[in-house]
Parts: sequence; C-alpha cells; structure tokens
Amino acid sequence: MKIVEVSQIAKSFGDTKAVRDVTFSVNPGEIFGMLGPNGAGKTTTIRIMLDIFKPDQGEVSIFGGSMTEEKKERIGYMPEERGLYQDISLNKCLIYLGSLKGLSKADVETRLDPLLERFDLADHKQKIVKELSKGMQQKAQIINTILHQPDLIIIDEPFTSLDPINTQMVKDVMRELRENGTTIIMSTHQMHQVEELSDRIILINEGRDVLYGDLDEIRRSYAGNAVLIRTTGDLPVIKGVEQSLSSNGAVKLILETGTNPQDVLHRLSEENVVIEKFEIDVPNLDEIFIQVVEAGDTR
Amino acid sequence: MKKLILVAVQEYKRNVWKKSFILALMSMPIIIILGVGLGVVISNLENNDLPVGYVDKAGLFSDPIRIPAKSRPVDFIAYESQEKAQGALENGETQAFYVISGDYFTSNTIELFYIQEPGKNATRQFYDFVQLNLVALEFPDIAERVASGSNLILRSIDGKRELPDGEPPLSVFLPLMISFAIVILLLMSSGYMMHAVVEEKENRTMEVVITSLSPTQLMGGKVLGVLGISFTQLVVWTIFGFMAIVIASQGLGIEWFQNPTIDWFGILLIVLLAIPTFVTASALMMAIGSTVTETQEAQWVVSIFMVLFWIPVWLIGIIGDAPNALLPMVLSFLPFTSLMTIGIRNMFVYLPYWQIGISIVTQLLFAVAAVWLAGRTFRVGMLRYGQKVSLKEVFGRHAVEIK
Repeated sequence: MKIVEVSQIAKSFGDTKAVRDVTFSVNPGEIFGMLGPNGAGKTTTIRIMLDIFKPDQGEVSIFGGSMTEEKKERIGYMPEERGLYQDISLNKCLIYLGSLKGLSKADVETRLDPLLERFDLADHKQKIVKELSKGMQQKAQIINTILHQPDLIIIDEPFTSLDPINTQMVKDVMRELRENGTTIIMSTHQMHQVEELSDRIILINEGRDVLYGDLDEIRRSYAGNAVLIRTTGDLPVIKGVEQSLSSNGAVKLILETGTNPQDVLHRLSEENVVIEKFEIDVPNLDEIFIQVVEAGDTR
Repeated sequence: MKKLILVAVQEYKRNVWKKSFILALMSMPIIIILGVGLGVVISNLENNDLPVGYVDKAGLFSDPIRIPAKSRPVDFIAYESQEKAQGALENGETQAFYVISGDYFTSNTIELFYIQEPGKNATRQFYDFVQLNLVALEFPDIAERVASGSNLILRSIDGKRELPDGEPPLSVFLPLMISFAIVILLLMSSGYMMHAVVEEKENRTMEVVITSLSPTQLMGGKVLGVLGISFTQLVVWTIFGFMAIVIASQGLGIEWFQNPTIDWFGILLIVLLAIPTFVTASALMMAIGSTVTETQEAQWVVSIFMVLFWIPVWLIGIIGDAPNALLPMVLSFLPFTSLMTIGIRNMFVYLPYWQIGISIVTQLLFAVAAVWLAGRTFRVGMLRYGQKVSLKEVFGRHAVEIK
C-alpha cells in the first residue's frame, strides 16, 4: 500500500493557478523529496495532501483512503511558516501541541525529555518560547513534528535557520526515522539536501510535476556522455574526446558520440597516465532542474 | 470533542493567569469599592450624627415637634443656658449648639457655636426643625401634618411603573447595571476572541493546529474558552456585587440598598438580549481577527466596537426624555446598541412586548449572520500570514478555500 497517492491534482486561487497537474505516490519507509523553486506549488500540494485545501480537481489518498481525524494523528507536519505559541514555556507549548495529536500529558512528558536532550533543548524547556533563538524554535518544531511518533512526516524546508551542526543532526534523525519505518516527505528548494537524503523525488515547477522517480535513475538518465578525471601529470590528447573542461581540480571530458568511458580509461592506461580519480559525470539536481526548465521538459 | 475541550482549557488557562486578566477581573470590584468607599468617606466628612444642642432664649420650642429624618437623623438637645450648652460641646456630647436670641421674632437671629464645623445633615435638619416649629406656633395642625411627611409616589412616563417613596429603588437600576456590566464583559470577551484568532495567525501556529483538529473544533474550543473566561468574570463580579449590596445595606446602613426587590423580567430581558449580542460580537471579532495581520491592528478595531456599544450611554438624556421615541426604538433593534438602549428604556417605561420581540429576533438574526460571516472569513483568512483579506475575497466565488 502506498502511504500517499496524489493523482492529477489542480488548485487555483482566483486567477492564479497554484497547482496545475501533479501526480505522484510515496512508498512506505522512504524519504521522498519534493523539489521546486519558491512559488512552484509545493506548499499548496502539501496542504491539499493534508486536507487543508480541497483540490479543484484530482484525488488524494492518505494511508489508502480519504483523510480522517484518526489519520491526522498519524501525521507529523512542520509547515514552512514556523509557529509556536510565543508567550508560554517551551514545555507547556509542546505538551499542548502533543496532546492535540492524541497523546496524554504523561505520554508527552515521557517522550519529550529524551527528544529535548537529543536536540540540546533540555536546559531551555522552562523558558518562554519567544526567548529562544530562531534555530532553537526550529528544533522545537521538529520535536513537535515527531513527538507523537507519526507514520508519515511532512516537513517543509526543514533546514532553514539551522547551523551546519544542527542541520547534520536533523539529517541523522531523519535517517533514523526512515530506518524505523517512518515515511518522510521533505519539501525544499535546496536541491543538494534532497540529493543527500532522498530515495525518490518529484520536481515541481510552475504547478506541474516536471520530474518524478528514483533519484539515482533520474540522475543517470540526465547524465551526459562525459567523465571526470584527475591525474598526476598532464593529460594527453585522447582520441574520441570532443571537449576538455577544468572542473574543481579535475578535468571534465565530453566524449564524442560513439565513444564510451571505458574507451577513455583504456586509452589513458595505454598512455601510462597515473589516474587519481575517474568517474562518470552525473549532473546534480540543480543542473538537471535547469536542463528540464530550459527544455520545457515534462515527464 | 476531546480536542475541542483541550483547546478551550488551553485558551482559558493561558488567559486567566495573565496579569492583564486579573487586573480586568478586579477592575469592576475595585471601581465598586472605590465608588462606595468614596461615597461613604465624603458622606462622613460632610455629615455628623452627634446631637446638636440649642438654647431657646425666645421660648419658641416649649414642646418641639420632631421631623423624622430619612437618613442620618440628628438629635436636638435643649439646654437651659449657653454655658451648659458650651460645656456639652467641649465635653464632646454635641457637635455644635445654636442660640436662638431673645428678640428672634424681630431680629431673626440665631447664632451657631462649634469647635469643628457641624455636619451638613445637622444644619439642614436644624433649619427644618426651626421652620416646622415656627409654623407650629400659629398652625399646630398644619405643623403636625408637615411632620408626618408625604407619601410620594413617582410614576413612569407611561404610568405603568410606580416608584414608592419617591426614589427609584435598586430594582429599577439593577437591569441597567447588569446590562452595563454585560457590555463591559462582552467587550472584554470579544477582545479575547479576536486576540485568540490573531495570535494563531501572528504566531503561525494555525497551520500546525488545523492538521491536528478541524477549524470548527479549533474555533469552537476558543469560543468555549472565552465563554469560560467571561463566566469567571461574571461569577466574580456577581459575588462582589452581592457583597457590596450586603455591606452597603447591613454594614453601612445605606437605605437605598436595603430590602432590594429584583425586577426578574428586566433581568431576563437583558439576558435574552445579551446572549445573541455576545454571539454577534464574538463572531465579528473572529471575522475581523481573521482579516487583520497583527494584534495592534486588532485592538484598533476593538476600540471601534467600544464606541458602538456606548452610543446609548451618551444619548441617555435623549432616551430618558422620550423613551418611546423613534431614535430609542431604532437603537433597540440595532446590533451593539440594542442591549444598553433596552436597559436604559426599561428604567423609564415598560417596553411594549412587540418591541421586545422584534429586538430579540433581530439580535438573533444578526447573530446568525455574524456566525456565517465569521466562518467564511476565518476559512479564507486563517492561513494568510501577514496579508489582509479583502471583502471581495470573503464574498467572492473562491471564498471558501479551506475545507
């Protein structure tokens, strides 16, 4: 059973078409990346999934059916617009929000302390929320999202406001949750974060899904006929190479049609070149996105 | 239902422990205590209940007639000589003494002797005492009649209400006082309501919360919480009001508060109007809270509502002069002004049943319309962080964006 199935949804606000045609599904226990530039329609898609907005067309299935009150308690959501009650203590705020997810006060307290320790907030739990830094508040919101041990986590721009150390910690937490069977949908415009964490992705642009599928497959499918090489000495002229470009201390060789990377490796070996690095040049998501948008490509 | 209660309890707890709430809660009792206390202090400063002596050198009062004073009666003691009266004054037995000169009938001279200025009640009552007994010298029957007093009955303009003893009793003022308290309560409560909505938007918590419960549960819980806050205020104020009446009547002996009768019909009428007015105000505050972007802006809008509620108070003279005229009647049917106008009019006349009926029905209709508007506005505006919502958006085709 798919955790989420979104089928051809569309949503307009007045004359603005926020989502035009988006279809995807999310498998159990995966980190699913929802990518796209600001204003692409990611948040609207999430709000439709969460039953906050009703779509103008299309259907959404969560845990195999329509959204219900019980299903809401199986979902943890951290919206892009961060929010905590500012004038109460962090502890009280998290207990209240946790109880709205169906947890008893005792359950919340039992689960809260280890999480506060993990996120380095234990010493701040009695502080009034507005006294906490932006980064601390963001970590508190992540705690709120996972406190009730949801089956599905939807997290919008999770790394904004976090320093590198906390970013790494949140990534570790997300990986642990995935290993424990939690499904995570991560929406962001920071493509490199998704490349690091996600199993599968959807790329949304101007309200349409322009890329969807397994991340590695997508990258391979957009890989050009090129290799990245770093050698100890000068690189000799190699037959079958159309263009040679410097790239981060290495050289990117764009190969002629009919030449494959194996041929290049063989020829370098014949020339007795000492190779430090040799890899197929696979484009990153930023490059793929630019390619897709410039080509007006859709899946 | 459980989540609705959770929201209500949270809303209640977060507000009732705030300094601002406790201050607001105590404001009414403090005003009452200060008002009554100030009145008592001023009364005590102005009046003095010690006996007053007099020396009647003119022989006016061989068998003086006493006027039974209604409040703070002063006893008058006759002294044979000025020396004895002086001695009593110096011993603190009297607060002052008068000397009626032997040639009073030609000179009209009465001298007053005191160490500290005597109370106004004493000088006023002595003046009456002299006047009455001067009349008694020539017309003893008339003097007896004057001394026995009059049975003054005030009637309302429509002749349907009688006020025995010539003074409107507490029962006549009570419905107006209750409507006054309810309006204050209502303004505070609707302020809480608006703040509750604006705060969710301002804190950006709305989106998190509505993925845990429905918007209806969220708003229902907030309304319930605010109702709880209002009920707390009402209970505290009622207790203080009751205590004030007991202290004023039993402790301070203020006649006006003694043996109060309750105008149950008047109170019922005010309650019947207060309920839809409360719903209308709360719903509109919720609607406005959904459209504005920050608390400061919300407070500005609340002040506009305060103005509307107090219009009948500013027009109390006009309403009192002609309680059944067109203006008071129209104000009785309009939202916001209805409650106070009915409270004021009820003090002067018995209101026609058809007007009471129309007033209650119109308030109910306004309440239904306000709830509808609030629901629609809330759904459009609740996720508009930092953005205002226009009327076009509220009433437009795409108004209901939130499920």
